[in-house]
Amino acid sequence: MGKPDKEAMKALRKQRKAYIDRAQQEMKKQRKLIKAIKEQIKDEPKTVPRIASEAKLQADQVLLYVAALRKYGQVVEVDKDGDYFTYKLDAEA
Amino acid sequence: MSTNQEKKATGEQKKVGIYICHCGGNISDHVDVEKLAENVKDLDGVAVVHTNTFMCSDPGQELIQNDIRDGKVNRVVVASCAPSLHELTFRGAIKRAGMNPYLYEHANIREQVSWVHHGDQATEKATGLVAGAVAKALRLQPLEPIRVEARRHATVIGAGVAGLRAACDLACRGLEVALIEKSPFIGGRTASLGRLVPTGEQAEEVITQIAAKAMANDKVTIYSCTEVVGFEGFVGNFRLTLKRKPPEEPYSAAEPQKIRMDHLEKGEFLPAAGIFPGDVPDKEQEIFLETGAIVMATGFRSYVPGEGEYGYLHSDKVITLAELVELIARYPDRRGRFLQVKGKPVRRMAFIHCVGSRQIPGIHEPDQDGRLNEYCSRTCCAATLQAAVQIRSSFPETQIFDFYRDIRTYGRGQEEVYREASRQRVTFFRFEPEDPPRVQKSSGGKFPLLVSVKDTLTFGEQIDVPVDLVVLATGMEPTPIKELVEMMKLPVGADGFLQEVHPKLRPVEVANTGILLAGTCQAPMDVGEACNAAQAAAAKTTAMLARGYVELDPFVARVDPERCKGTGLCREACPIEGAIELKERQVDGKTVVQAQITPALCTGCGICVAVCPSRALDINGWTLEQYEAMVDAIVAA
Amino acid sequence: MKETLRLQYDALVIGGGIAGLQSALDLADQDFKVAVIEKDATIGGKMIRLSKVFPTLDCASCITTPKMAAAAHHDNIDLFTYCEVNSLDRSQGRLKASITQKPRYVDPDKCIGCRQCEYQCPVYVPDQEQGGFNLRKAVYIPFSNAIPQLALIDVEHCALCGKCAKVCPTEAIDYFQQPEDFVIEAKTAVLATGFKLTPMDQKKEYGQGQIPNVISSLQMERLLAPHGPYQRVIRPSDGKEPDSIAYVQCAGSRDLSLGISYCSRVCCMYAIKQAMLLSGALPLADITIYYMDIRAFGKGYEQFFQNAKAMGIEFVKAKVGRIEQGENHNVLLRIEEQEGDGRVVRREHDLVVLSLGMVPDWNPAGICPVGTGDDAFIKCVRPKLAPTLTEMEGVFVAGVAAGPKDIVDTIAEAGAAAMEASNYLNSSASGRAA
Repeated sequence: MGKPDKEAMKALRKQRKAYIDRAQQEMKKQRKLIKAIKEQIKDEPKTVPRIASEAKLQADQVLLYVAALRKYGQVVEVDKDGDYFTYKLDAEA
Repeated sequence: MSTNQEKKATGEQKKVGIYICHCGGNISDHVDVEKLAENVKDLDGVAVVHTNTFMCSDPGQELIQNDIRDGKVNRVVVASCAPSLHELTFRGAIKRAGMNPYLYEHANIREQVSWVHHGDQATEKATGLVAGAVAKALRLQPLEPIRVEARRHATVIGAGVAGLRAACDLACRGLEVALIEKSPFIGGRTASLGRLVPTGEQAEEVITQIAAKAMANDKVTIYSCTEVVGFEGFVGNFRLTLKRKPPEEPYSAAEPQKIRMDHLEKGEFLPAAGIFPGDVPDKEQEIFLETGAIVMATGFRSYVPGEGEYGYLHSDKVITLAELVELIARYPDRRGRFLQVKGKPVRRMAFIHCVGSRQIPGIHEPDQDGRLNEYCSRTCCAATLQAAVQIRSSFPETQIFDFYRDIRTYGRGQEEVYREASRQRVTFFRFEPEDPPRVQKSSGGKFPLLVSVKDTLTFGEQIDVPVDLVVLATGMEPTPIKELVEMMKLPVGADGFLQEVHPKLRPVEVANTGILLAGTCQAPMDVGEACNAAQAAAAKTTAMLARGYVELDPFVARVDPERCKGTGLCREACPIEGAIELKERQVDGKTVVQAQITPALCTGCGICVAVCPSRALDINGWTLEQYEAMVDAIVAA
Repeated sequence: MKETLRLQYDALVIGGGIAGLQSALDLADQDFKVAVIEKDATIGGKMIRLSKVFPTLDCASCITTPKMAAAAHHDNIDLFTYCEVNSLDRSQGRLKASITQKPRYVDPDKCIGCRQCEYQCPVYVPDQEQGGFNLRKAVYIPFSNAIPQLALIDVEHCALCGKCAKVCPTEAIDYFQQPEDFVIEAKTAVLATGFKLTPMDQKKEYGQGQIPNVISSLQMERLLAPHGPYQRVIRPSDGKEPDSIAYVQCAGSRDLSLGISYCSRVCCMYAIKQAMLLSGALPLADITIYYMDIRAFGKGYEQFFQNAKAMGIEFVKAKVGRIEQGENHNVLLRIEEQEGDGRVVRREHDLVVLSLGMVPDWNPAGICPVGTGDDAFIKCVRPKLAPTLTEMEGVFVAGVAAGPKDIVDTIAEAGAAAMEASNYLNSSASGRAA
């Protein structure tokens, strides 16, 4: 696709408004959540329950985002602490 | 030849690409794949090293193809699973990229490394194997597959439902078919069955239909009363010797009165025997057949309980399911208060499941050949319950007790039969294999037999059930075909059934190219499943023979005429008739005798290479020079 | 108006899972021209999403990817992914399928599968390919061994921010792409439309999918798969490595209360397989399978079951009456033992897997005159001698579309369907081939 036609893009945005609005709201929430998680593990590795309790987040949500951040190369798994693994922000990322 | 000379000879530098597969963790959990890549990247001749999660996937294959197309590599080494799994996959990929598919070597670092070694040792061994493969790859020569003409003719051994099904399909696609059957009748075991689960169709109708279709097709030649006694050749060009001989009468065990074949008409159905295909030989004859492919459809026989197994043979009131089914099949429309067996009313009867199936070492006794049937026979649960339902609806006062381990009504419509049996008030008892039911003659009382069991459904309570009849749900065993197995060198599994190459990749082929499997010679199946398998085998056979030629791997012996002194030792040692001949040749005006190979017959076993005193023989793709280089590289690694 | 594209083939295969691919390969190897229609963005079906397969414990990818690649590269096969079949009719001896290709919003001729777009996309979306246990982006490639390796945009989650178009090195992003209709004409067709799992949210007694550590069997496949969501087995509620895992068999099969009376045929074996893989991954964990009957009926299956028992996997014949949320993210089972003294007991596990059954993934009603049985799977008109025949002339069925089946039986049936289809192609008469 070459440079998208501005008028056409505008029309498309209007047509998809409901989806776009929802996606933007999601993005906001996601950014906040990711920021909070990253903040927790930038200095020391932590388990999911610890991240959740210290950042006051739901543990399943924390795990979901930690998994995604690992997949896209921003977080690494470190050691095991009891029954749980710990995660840390990837210094190289 | 030194590498330098070789370079000159081929005019190009040899560039090996190494492609290491993680196998999604199967390999990389034990072999340090990155370290392996590091270890081999500086070996002589190595141009590139890549790793991938699944080298066999499309992106993995593309990695190899791009390197070939870009001229980065002209020899390929893949380090992954066993070559039996994916050698063909990678050769295909290489060929599509425009390179000779035989400039390829496979290092097995899964079955030979990661599945058996761990830690540093695993990575070390993998390094050695890859180094060996590289050394060999540098010495590979382009090869061409051996193309041989294939007869558009297939032979099906066994004329049961699977054999008939395969024969009809092959003929429909234009192949000539020889259908070989040992007995004077066609239809196999299906001819002894009654109503089939779950449709309730009469087996007689089903088998008569497909038999009529085969008999009406002029491309199908039926050889009844015939056995295969000689086998040679190779895919596309097998040669079979058949022996056809007059049947021993009376034929049918179920019909003790003598059956006169000359009174039967072509196409006539005889219960428990099958369909009469039209003629019987009056004297022994030998027939030679040339055929392109062979479909094994030799079927099963019912397990015969040992003497005293659940009272079998100790009481004539203990019979097998096969016997019961034949009895019911004979009179499908009979009704009454009580089922009658051997002239006596059956007031109460018991079924016992898993007789001769699901046997466990240490609990069950092996047979005379030391064999245990550890497998599930798959069909008996549904067949037993179908018989129970049929008896309960036709003879409402016959009570039924069913002793089982697990009810396995897995198939479409079979669970309904199970539910119907419960609705018809069949009483179920469940037993553990270590505590099987005991069948005893009762002393006095109204019933001749007593079945006792520790019923696990009622908390292990000891339960005694007096009955008139005990029916043993006997499983399937492969038809004994020892002679065929030995003659054709067929692979047999631990369960005694013929063994496919791989249950998912090549489910209807055996390792011997050109021989296929249809139906219960491979594993227990019901009629529909056997037909599916037969059609799958027919589809593969058609694809193989449709073009009129087949291509064989070029890994066969070759003779170096400079060295061959015509000792003939190779011909003596060769296990294949006709693969090596001694031929006269003119060399510098003199006549010399030298070995000559018939590539299509040679299996590439290498025995000739070992016996040749002048090193005149080699196997293409597996030369002594290549082996030596591999050994050196492995030792050095 | 643009004229509808009409493509001609010998055979049309609907469904690009293992059944469809095998049928297509068996037809193509007989030199017939085959079109494969797949509704997903990649071929491979359910099998490519599995971890390992019973009874050989081969990795599913090792068996599926070569067949996918073989089909993708076969001279006689064309693949049409991300397509819906609107209708399939027969007229004048030919089948006509009207098909809509859904928009990927990515030009398939330009996309090189580099995933730059995916890395840059700012929107995270639950990844159903990972059982919902990981996230993907709004523009994504389904998974690493998908065929074709083409990105697609999930417009429902796209913020239309333009980042993907900006980073794409080949200018492949096309936000304006429209669905495209085309027609495939063929002489014969094979329906290989497969299955989906019985829904998790229907059984009230089992928590209706609302208990976080009660997961489906396909979700467990992802946990066990290479490239799974966590790359190890931990439970989804809090990342704990489970010490105690339970399987609830027949959770969605042989259950009249769900209207699913039949046995789904694969659940016993996949549960045993998963249990074996789990005891490899978590050697200290206790694994329990609650079952009614163990149905290990295929070649080598009973031996596989006996091996699992010998490995220490606990088999308990019991009915699971109720599943509830316990303390500490654990799961409570109320079970009625069918052996021993038959008491109702409560047992606690870290993670519980529902061995869900199979329901058809496609209903031919309104698309083509192919009937279905009481079980909603496609009706086979001659289940004994020609199990792949349907009610529609020249149209055959293979795999789970015709009732639950394991992979081995599916592959055999796919070969049989290919045989019937080639017989049909062969018979110049319009009469039935079988």
